[in-house]
Amino acid sequence: MNILEVKNLKKYFPLRKFGKKHYVRAVDGVSFTVEEKEIIGILGESGCGKSTLGLLISRLELETEGEIKFRDQKISETLRLPKDIRRRIQIILQNPYDSFDPRLTVGDSLFIPLKINQIGDSDDDRRNMILEYMEKSGLTPSKDLYRRYPHELSGGQLQRLSILRAMLLKPDFLVADECVSMLDVSVRADVINLLMDLVQSLDTSMMFITHDISLGRYVSDRILVMYLGKIVEMAPADVIMENPLHPYTRILISYSPTLIKKKTRIPIKGEVQTLLSEPKGCRFAPRCPYAQDVCYQTEPNLVEISSNHFVACHIVEKEAGS
Amino acid sequence: MKVLQIRSVSIRYVVGKKEVRAVEDVSFDVQERDVVGLVGESGSGKTTLAHGIMRLLPPNAYFKNGEILLLGKNIVKMKENEVRKYRWKDYSIVFQKSMNALSPVHRVGEQMKEALLIHQPNLSDEQMMKRIRETLDLVRLPSRVIRLYPHELSGGMMQRVMIALALINNPKFVIFDEATTALDVVTQGQILDEIKKLVKDLSLTAMVITHDIGVVSEICNKVAVMYAGRLMEFGPLDKVVYEPLHPYTKALLKSHPDFLEPGEKMMGIPGNLPDLTLPMKGCAFAPRCPYAEKICFSETPKPVEVGERVVACFKVKEVERT
Repeated sequence: MNILEVKNLKKYFPLRKFGKKHYVRAVDGVSFTVEEKEIIGILGESGCGKSTLGLLISRLELETEGEIKFRDQKISETLRLPKDIRRRIQIILQNPYDSFDPRLTVGDSLFIPLKINQIGDSDDDRRNMILEYMEKSGLTPSKDLYRRYPHELSGGQLQRLSILRAMLLKPDFLVADECVSMLDVSVRADVINLLMDLVQSLDTSMMFITHDISLGRYVSDRILVMYLGKIVEMAPADVIMENPLHPYTRILISYSPTLIKKKTRIPIKGEVQTLLSEPKGCRFAPRCPYAQDVCYQTEPNLVEISSNHFVACHIVEKEAGS
Repeated sequence: MKVLQIRSVSIRYVVGKKEVRAVEDVSFDVQERDVVGLVGESGSGKTTLAHGIMRLLPPNAYFKNGEILLLGKNIVKMKENEVRKYRWKDYSIVFQKSMNALSPVHRVGEQMKEALLIHQPNLSDEQMMKRIRETLDLVRLPSRVIRLYPHELSGGMMQRVMIALALINNPKFVIFDEATTALDVVTQGQILDEIKKLVKDLSLTAMVITHDIGVVSEICNKVAVMYAGRLMEFGPLDKVVYEPLHPYTKALLKSHPDFLEPGEKMMGIPGNLPDLTLPMKGCAFAPRCPYAEKICFSETPKPVEVGERVVACFKVKEVERT
């Protein structure tokens, strides 16, 4: 059963440069589905559109084109959604210092969403619920922390609170956008474990956006790799790590700093560019060490190469076909 | 030959009436052509130590005691105008945030020229341009960069300009302070490869400051692990990263997803950094250490030699066995 169905989703941001109107194609025709209880990792470098995708799905940003279905109900075209659907889709942002109101105590920041959604029978009940969850997630002494303001807490504590803020609403779908990239390694592990415990115990589906390949693999069931607004590869996490097929994925994995084995780097030209004009052919072709003529002419489609392993690359497709 | 000798260095910041013990009694040596990785979480004092070596500490910081012999000279006692003779000529540093380190209103070429002029005022314009082009070539930047302003460069290019600036006077010792942290995976990998090559080709001795152990294992041959301003473990990469002895190093590695067996969970380090404004009794890590005993809270462990490395822990023998 699919909880989320995304079809040909596009988001263009208008940009004026030298008097001419351009569009930044942040997300450009992305289609995928997410199953119930599944954790899907979105991997990519900055500028690949992974955060925009997260904002589109959590309905904080209106798409330019395309369709999003949440449990067979269409949620695209408008940002005016019923309160109940808003509750069911939650997001955790990267920097908790920006996502908490500095003038509210953190307790209030957690309390207000519960009150709005009428979760819990009374205000006392709600407060106890928050305190109980805070205790459970290692935020002690909870009564003291409840009354604190965001600037008084550490990044790790605050990020834990933002996880609780989202998860207390018992969402069905959670978008976690680089939720630990600000934190120190020793804190990161505990925050991830808290997130995973809550997501698993509440049967929430999650979209885990990250640029950290090892972390993406650790957290996700399935991984989707993006490059300049397009999906280039999509497969179960272990498959994509053991047997990456798209040149970009292979390069990404070969360049990620890791502790384990020394890998041979695959040479790559240039850096990520922002696409302003309509691209012709494969977006990765100009940097791809394997690019052929066809790559500059026609855009590759996302094709299922083997069971549940999708790749958008002419060369991989040709090799698989022969 | 020892390029850098750090001898029981303590650095403190005066903040109001309090003193922050940012670096406390740290000693280690850097041999010629070593690439030493300085690892630690935020607040571990790694950047303070690096800035201390470069004599770039802010006015409210001072050396409590110890000496730093850099290329044979004790730089702790040196007068500022004497430091200026050597800094950026014999040793230099690549800063983390290249956007903030470069002047936004001067072209890259002018900034590089200035760094040359200060130390080699007799160079002719032609010689200078030649040297600038050579250095840019080292970091694989085209010479058109000379005429550009920093805002016209991408993050990776800016970081390369910073590296070129640090190398322009042919220094013997370079500190890379989180030089690749803000970059994308592929760019980071490329720059790490370039640093690796430069260190080899130019016979540089280097210190790489990072919180990412992955980065260390890519380019360093030795690792120094710091915690709360103190040195926990120092030794060859293979030993420290693959057979850690100090409980802190162990815990730090356990919180990295790369080192896990299939199905194993990441482990955080419970607790918080100690308050560095208070005098510390015993081992800095004791309150968070699973092996800690009575002695760990009452006496400060002296660094002891274990094979090729140095470990500051009373329980080394027991940790070794687990």
